Amino acid sequence: MKPEVKKALIAKFTALADDELVLSHRDAEWTGHGPILEEDIALANIAQDELGHATVWLGLRKELDGSDPDQLAFFRDSTKFRNAELLELPRGDWAFTMLRQYLFDVYEAAWLSAAKASSYQPLADAAAKILREERFHLQHTQAWVERLGLGTEESNRRMQAALNMQWGYTQQLFVPLQDEEILVRENIVPDLSAVKTKWLEHTTRHLRDSRLELPLNIGYQPGSRETHTEHLWSLLAEMQSVARWDAEAKVW
Amino acid sequence: MTDTQLPRWEVFKQDAPNKPHQAVGSVHAADPEHALLTARNVFARRPQAVSMWVVPEAEIFSVTKEELVKGRRPKAEGEKAINYQPSTISKYLVFRKTTHKRSMTFVDYVGELGALSPQDALEQAQQKFTDAEALAWWIVPASNVAKSDPDAQTVESWFGIAKDKTYKQQSSYGLVGTHVSKLRGLGGEDEA
Repeated sequence: MKPEVKKALIAKFTALADDELVLSHRDAEWTGHGPILEEDIALANIAQDELGHATVWLGLRKELDGSDPDQLAFFRDSTKFRNAELLELPRGDWAFTMLRQYLFDVYEAAWLSAAKASSYQPLADAAAKILREERFHLQHTQAWVERLGLGTEESNRRMQAALNMQWGYTQQLFVPLQDEEILVRENIVPDLSAVKTKWLEHTTRHLRDSRLELPLNIGYQPGSRETHTEHLWSLLAEMQSVARWDAEAKVW
Repeated sequence: MTDTQLPRWEVFKQDAPNKPHQAVGSVHAADPEHALLTARNVFARRPQAVSMWVVPEAEIFSVTKEELVKGRRPKAEGEKAINYQPSTISKYLVFRKTTHKRSMTFVDYVGELGALSPQDALEQAQQKFTDAEALAWWIVPASNVAKSDPDAQTVESWFGIAKDKTYKQQSSYGLVGTHVSKLRGLGGEDEA
């Protein structure tokens, strides 16, 4: 593998892993606080799945540069994280959480479907494996978007407020990394603009069917993944606290 | 106090294509699709499954062996009154409990039949399914059963994943839960 391809791929795996890791933590914050027991369990399941996906991506990165996934997850500072800002925003209410998970699930399912054809076999295999779980996530979250959108005036209002807030942030998922085009040229990762077309098709139809309006004013759209909101810092402070408390711990 | 719970649904899980659907427990959910989604999360994330059914508990007619002896007719699980048209034949699903052995499941699916009413379905079931003694019967109008999608991609996404995952005991997670004595010699202050 050419050095510039390897470098770009390491950066991509890091971004993919960080999206999953940060979203997983926000979902996990609901554990014990879900609206009903069944949904508490369901979201904990989703959080665990996303964490598993982060492990897969960091595992692929390890194959390239020998980095330790646990070190990256629990001992890296917020300035080094490459997740999209959408995923680090505080969990908000149930509508906010379900909408974010839905918008991300559609993106992830579209990206993975395309990535199954990657010329880098370990990535193609991982995409096929993760996609199986994503299909179920998507069914679950799209059912919630529909029910809250079409539910009561209050549930619709909350869903619409979440959409107005998140729509601009979500666009960052389709901003390529600095050297991502090298990977696209080698057919290692899918072209994000094609993924975005599929994503838009699905989301606009489903959101409208759920009586939600796409915001006319898209609002703030983050660009580079090198900067973050203040929320990432506090999220990591909590997520990493146990591991950092005693980095040499042999027994917990 | 007002009950804020969503309606309760009984969940039936099929472990393999040649096995019957078995009652494994219940979930609260807003509608049939929601009930299936939550049932999958609660009952099939790890254990093996190929299909799931859900039924609103109020639509289930249940009767035990003891109740039949006393001459009681099947009654709905819930208190909701349901008006059936006794003049038309409709389909019913029949479930039966045959053992007192301690188990994670209650009744097993034994078959489907056409009947005029739940009572009629029960009487037919007693004639038809005689291979084992019935300790309890559940009679469910087929129209009230919501089933998971049999399409291969859905089956894979809902149930296939569990095959690659295994239950792990705490002790298999390396450091977590490992007794201090096992780590002697690895360095650290415990060594002294």
